[in-house]
Amino acid sequence: MANDANKVKTVAEVVQTIPDGAHIALGGFAINRCNIVVSHELIRQQKKDLTLSQGVVGLDTDLLVGAGLVKRCIMGGGSLDRFGPVHCINRARETQPGWSHDYSSLTICLKYLAGALGISFIPTKCLMSSEVLDRLEQFAPDDIKKMKCPFTGEEYLLLKALTPDICFVHVQVADREGNAQISGARWENEEQAKSGKRLVVVTEELVPTEYIQRNPERTIIPGHRVEAIIHQPFGAHPTACFDYYDYDADHLRLYVNHSKKKETFPDYVNKYILGTKDHWEYLDKVGGLKQMNEIRAEKLLGY
Amino acid sequence: MTGVRATEIMVAAASRELCDGEVVVVGIGLPLMACFLARRTHAPRLTSLSEIGVINMDPRDTPVGVADPRNFYRATCRSGFLDVMGLNLHHGNVDVGVLGALEADRFGNINTTLFRDEAGNIRYWNGSAGGNDTASLAKRVILIMRHDKRKLPKTLAHLTSPGFAEGRSRPQLGLRGGGPSRLITDKAVIAFDPQTHRATLVSVHPEVELGDIVASTGFELKIPSGLNVTALPTSEELRLLREEIDPSDLYLGNKEARS
Repeated sequence: MANDANKVKTVAEVVQTIPDGAHIALGGFAINRCNIVVSHELIRQQKKDLTLSQGVVGLDTDLLVGAGLVKRCIMGGGSLDRFGPVHCINRARETQPGWSHDYSSLTICLKYLAGALGISFIPTKCLMSSEVLDRLEQFAPDDIKKMKCPFTGEEYLLLKALTPDICFVHVQVADREGNAQISGARWENEEQAKSGKRLVVVTEELVPTEYIQRNPERTIIPGHRVEAIIHQPFGAHPTACFDYYDYDADHLRLYVNHSKKKETFPDYVNKYILGTKDHWEYLDKVGGLKQMNEIRAEKLLGY
Repeated sequence: MTGVRATEIMVAAASRELCDGEVVVVGIGLPLMACFLARRTHAPRLTSLSEIGVINMDPRDTPVGVADPRNFYRATCRSGFLDVMGLNLHHGNVDVGVLGALEADRFGNINTTLFRDEAGNIRYWNGSAGGNDTASLAKRVILIMRHDKRKLPKTLAHLTSPGFAEGRSRPQLGLRGGGPSRLITDKAVIAFDPQTHRATLVSVHPEVELGDIVASTGFELKIPSGLNVTALPTSEELRLLREEIDPSDLYLGNKEARS
């Protein structure tokens, strides 16, 4: 049964509880359902020395790395699709050997799954005989081992579980208890969200529980796992949120124009993040209601 | 036939490598185009999987990437990595992976992580994402990429996803998948010798000189006698590609042919 505590919080309140040095997992994928609200607030509050993990890194993580908040990245790959590479992350990888621990999409997902299952490692047949493995053995030797199966003798790679201090996931719909429903593909959202010590949901829409009860099979994250809910319409802008809005192609191009050079990136941060007090002001600055209406999803298409 | 672009020859050649009824994990770009073409022609029962968690994507508008919600529209299943890459690919029931790459070597090992720019500096690219998983586990792998000396080097800048690394067999490498079966470029179709696992020319695209292929391949390419010419796309394949699959020329118009 639902408890009485109101879990709805502002992003500023939630971010205040995150210590420097925390391991944060973000739920975005390239240009889709990125935790922009969270990244912006982490930058406003200048949280330091973060470890960031994500399956396929996207705009949310690139922002944090560009702003200099991240000391380690644990990732499976990533880009901003045809808008360009994750320039800030790539610059960090180019200048600091071992700064990122690079896996693959499935192996990051399996590491979260192990964390979510409460087991300390998980075997896989991926990554073998690759330089991805060589580099992990060099830069993260305590996180990857080999073992022969005690039943069949087959050789496996063992991946250490990922257990982030706090996980954020951006969803379309949640109630005040945190029962969260996701539409569209959801990459490693479920395994990631359930792998951490704390879980915070950012939702486009805050709905009554009765709405959740109409399609409870769509609930990917049940409320009892959720510590707090942040309600922020257009909270993933300029990335897409299926059934709600498309990515903002013009703004993504503007972002990449700033991010591709270290010298121009601070202009973006100063104008759109430090120059705004919250996401509502940010939305006004990037075109306001008129622009949000431009990218609003068509009902039949979902984008 | 005049006016057929190299990207169209590549996509049609890749499409013909896919058989009806097969299950395919497909990367974005020309691999996705090939998959859509196969399904609209000889392979209507092809099942396509995208790592993000989409099965049988059938977009109305050309997607800009894996994460584009255009891929979610009209799909028959929306799930996630664990379903597509775990419970299908890792399970062992994916027949084919179709991938693009920054670089490939003579054993079909591929690099999607980093490259050396003209000044010799290391520049990072996307990393593995689902590439290593697919190359490790699919029963066979088709690579689609542009053909030039820097992209087909003797030694990769980084081995992201294994083919027949060091010329060894897949069981010797500890890998379950069958490894690369075809490397399709804008000049030729290349296979991997069943014994030596070395890149072996299969067919040359129309109007491409053998000397040009040798000169623009950084590794030693085995050239058998009796070379074939790659079949051009049919007029119906061209119509499908230009009018239905990529009408805005997002991928087919790309001179770089980088997927």
